[in-house]
Amino acid sequence: MNTTVTVRTRSVEHSVFPAPALSRAAEPDEEHELIARLRRGDEGAFDGLVNQHHGALIRMAMSHVRNREMAEEVVQDTWMAVIEGLHRFEGRSSLRTWIFGIMIHKAKDRGVREKRHVTFSACESFDDESEEPIDPARFHQTGEWAGHWAFPPQPWDEQTPEKLLASQQAVNAMQRAIEVLPPTLKEVLMLRDVEGVDAKQVCEILKITETNLYVRLHRARERVRQAVETYLEGRQVAV
Amino acid sequence: MAQKEGPAIVPEITCQEIVQWVSAYLDEHVEDDRKRQIALHLAICAGCETYVKQITTVRNIVGLLPKAGEEPSDLRRLRHTFVAQARRSVSGG
Repeated sequence: MNTTVTVRTRSVEHSVFPAPALSRAAEPDEEHELIARLRRGDEGAFDGLVNQHHGALIRMAMSHVRNREMAEEVVQDTWMAVIEGLHRFEGRSSLRTWIFGIMIHKAKDRGVREKRHVTFSACESFDDESEEPIDPARFHQTGEWAGHWAFPPQPWDEQTPEKLLASQQAVNAMQRAIEVLPPTLKEVLMLRDVEGVDAKQVCEILKITETNLYVRLHRARERVRQAVETYLEGRQVAV
Repeated sequence: MAQKEGPAIVPEITCQEIVQWVSAYLDEHVEDDRKRQIALHLAICAGCETYVKQITTVRNIVGLLPKAGEEPSDLRRLRHTFVAQARRSVSGG
């Protein structure tokens, strides 16, 4: 099934920007079938489940713990808990929400224990909730135009998405921007935009409100947008 | 007196406020009044229209960034535990 999302609202043609290929959630029937197979001990179903989620679990776990090795341990523990808990899983949430919930719980627990011993790496920033998502200096501060753009973003050309993905430098810049996001921003961006989990499920997994989700998500997207902006400006200067 | 036709007056919103609403707006997660207010603003503000397009591009692109292929280092052991656990659960009722 195609789950692309287009924004149907009015004057700006958002639909010209196709939504990402979302890794869709299983349909209820498929999910039932999958759970039944897992409970029967079907190794193919288990391999499929691991393949589908392992990478995302590792990437998410990395937001909470110090290094790759610990992230792998957290995810390993998560899979063990999934195996042990499968026969008790009641299907009140989706399988994915349940698995990610277990991982987040374990990762946070591990992260908290770790923080007693280590300080987070210097490159990791913190999210200050009171901070504006975008530099206030880009807007007029006083006068008739207060609150309106003083330095509006410069339009990107239509080929920008393709060009960005084709450029190793641009890809690195975006990946770096994501890597250094504070954990609270990184986890929403990873779940919603990278893994394509729908907003309600993200809120369930992270136990946050939708208002909170969008505040965080936007701050995260804005930081990636800034990375792209800086990259593109750098290229113009270089030409 | 006859009622004035046309939509109700929508209070103005600044660009600085718009940027805070963009992600919720793209997911259609804003109330109708707010949506109308943002749409009206976008229709006349090139800066905000550009900004919305850029955030849309970011939203669409981050899921397409290359990801490292991942497989648990001990998949065999996990699989073994999985099968053993399933047998136990089935035989245990």
